[in-house]
Amino acid sequence: MNAAHEPILRVEGLAVRRGGRTIFEDMSLAVAPGEIVGLVGPNGCGKSTMLACIAGVLAPRDGHVRVGGASVWGPRRDRQRARAALGYVPEAADPPPFLRASELWALCAAARGAGMPGEELINRLGLEELRELALERMSLGQRRRACLGAALLGPPSLLVLDEPDNGLDARRTDALEVLLRDHAAAGHACIVASHDAGLLDRIGARVVRLAVRAG
Amino acid sequence: MWLSVWTRAVIAPAARRAYGVWAGAGLVGAMIFGGTGMHPSDLTGLAVGDPGVGVVLALTWLLVFVPVARGLVRADGARYLAALPAPAVWPRLLAGAALVGLQLPWLALWVGGDGARGLAVVGGVTVPIALVAAWRPRPGRRIGARWASGPAALRGVFARALRRRAADALLRGAGIAILAGFFAGLLVRNNELAGRSAAALAAAAIAIVLVGAQIGVRLVLLDAHRSSAWLAASTGISDSARVAALAFAIAAVDLAAAALAVLVVVIAGQFDLATTAWLALAVLASVAGGVLAGTRTLVRAADSPNVATRVVVGAAVTAGLTVLWLGVFGFVGIAGALATSAVLAVRE
Repeated sequence: MNAAHEPILRVEGLAVRRGGRTIFEDMSLAVAPGEIVGLVGPNGCGKSTMLACIAGVLAPRDGHVRVGGASVWGPRRDRQRARAALGYVPEAADPPPFLRASELWALCAAARGAGMPGEELINRLGLEELRELALERMSLGQRRRACLGAALLGPPSLLVLDEPDNGLDARRTDALEVLLRDHAAAGHACIVASHDAGLLDRIGARVVRLAVRAG
Repeated sequence: MWLSVWTRAVIAPAARRAYGVWAGAGLVGAMIFGGTGMHPSDLTGLAVGDPGVGVVLALTWLLVFVPVARGLVRADGARYLAALPAPAVWPRLLAGAALVGLQLPWLALWVGGDGARGLAVVGGVTVPIALVAAWRPRPGRRIGARWASGPAALRGVFARALRRRAADALLRGAGIAILAGFFAGLLVRNNELAGRSAAALAAAAIAIVLVGAQIGVRLVLLDAHRSSAWLAASTGISDSARVAALAFAIAAVDLAAAALAVLVVVIAGQFDLATTAWLALAVLASVAGGVLAGTRTLVRAADSPNVATRVVVGAAVTAGLTVLWLGVFGFVGIAGALATSAVLAVRE
């Protein structure tokens, strides 16, 4: 496989145990440039846990996660490179609640070496009305839009989104779908956990099913 | 029925807040009136006779009590109830009575020290307390955030947490710092000390009283530390950078409180230049030890369900160790206190 076909995300032998329970083990996955992968499965099967491992938030017990060839859980320089190449929105979309949306974007821009949201992103997600609003005063949908704006700064090679349409109204869900398709079309990749089969279908995601493990 | 619900929505939460103030005031009162043999009338007499002392004392109480008074004066907890048909006079009378009654330590000091005139002083000080509590500052000027790096952004997040979440705790901390300086100055003056021994005693007194100034602020910083965890991890801000930003915020607050206490102690204790320099050195070392140990406690307690207790115990133990080192070894003991905190922090 040459560099052009190197997956943006490569997960190998990933294993996570929490509270004495194996959530999953020996999980492997690759997401190619231009591809959107949808993680589906019942509650508790480990979709959010897997995304947290991929995003560098939850350390796995075993296995490797590489983004753009750099290991998310590897040496410091690799970690930095991998995490600068990904944008993550967890299911709760709960950054420090006392921050304003513009401060959240400034934090992510500074950490990832990216610029502030461009006009196109602002218009598509309707971010202008959120700019000076404190996150704690936002509805779930508004908070998710603010977090999506932060995740899309750069833009990153890999978007890691957990239930991204939760709380969004129909107009913003449509905009999100267009954004994800355009992101993939630009040669980037997305991995999305969702219970909404319709959303995954509309964004043309390759579906990966997870099952709840016994014990 | 309406009044009973209103009491539970307004008076009960204010009373719960007041218990913490009572506990802190009791601790400080025990140190002032237990250790030095002072009687409340000595302090109230000093406050009435010397306007400077009186103003400092009243200002300290105002700062300490305003968060409790705010709950009573604004009655934000009863907004919904206010929309229902309700009696107009009784809630005001009850709030007024609670506003005076919940100032129990202040009442005890003044009535015990100055009788009926003391009661009038409490009434007089209650007016500015109510006015400050009712005041709602206009939102600050919005300055667009722009940071050069992830760690700089995290420091900015902590600064915003302090400004937007810890204003009450910072005010209370300022009041306690003034009180700490006043208490330490009196201790030194009553014991007729100077030089390094005066600095050691004052530093020990400041360390123990300032514990009350640190808790509320540290809990706010811990909340910011926890809520920014996933954001920092997913954007590549290292754990060490997160801990450094937390330590930086703790150090900024502790240094400001200590500087205020030192300023008051130098005035109250009538310190000369050399004693002031020794005191500054001792307090600086004590703050450095407190920041190291305090940061370690917060990081370790971050995921604990008993986080508040652990933060309180951690701050009290650190201050206790500082007092112990200074008590046993005098001024040179400060090096031991600093080393103990550093060893504990480095092990983390």
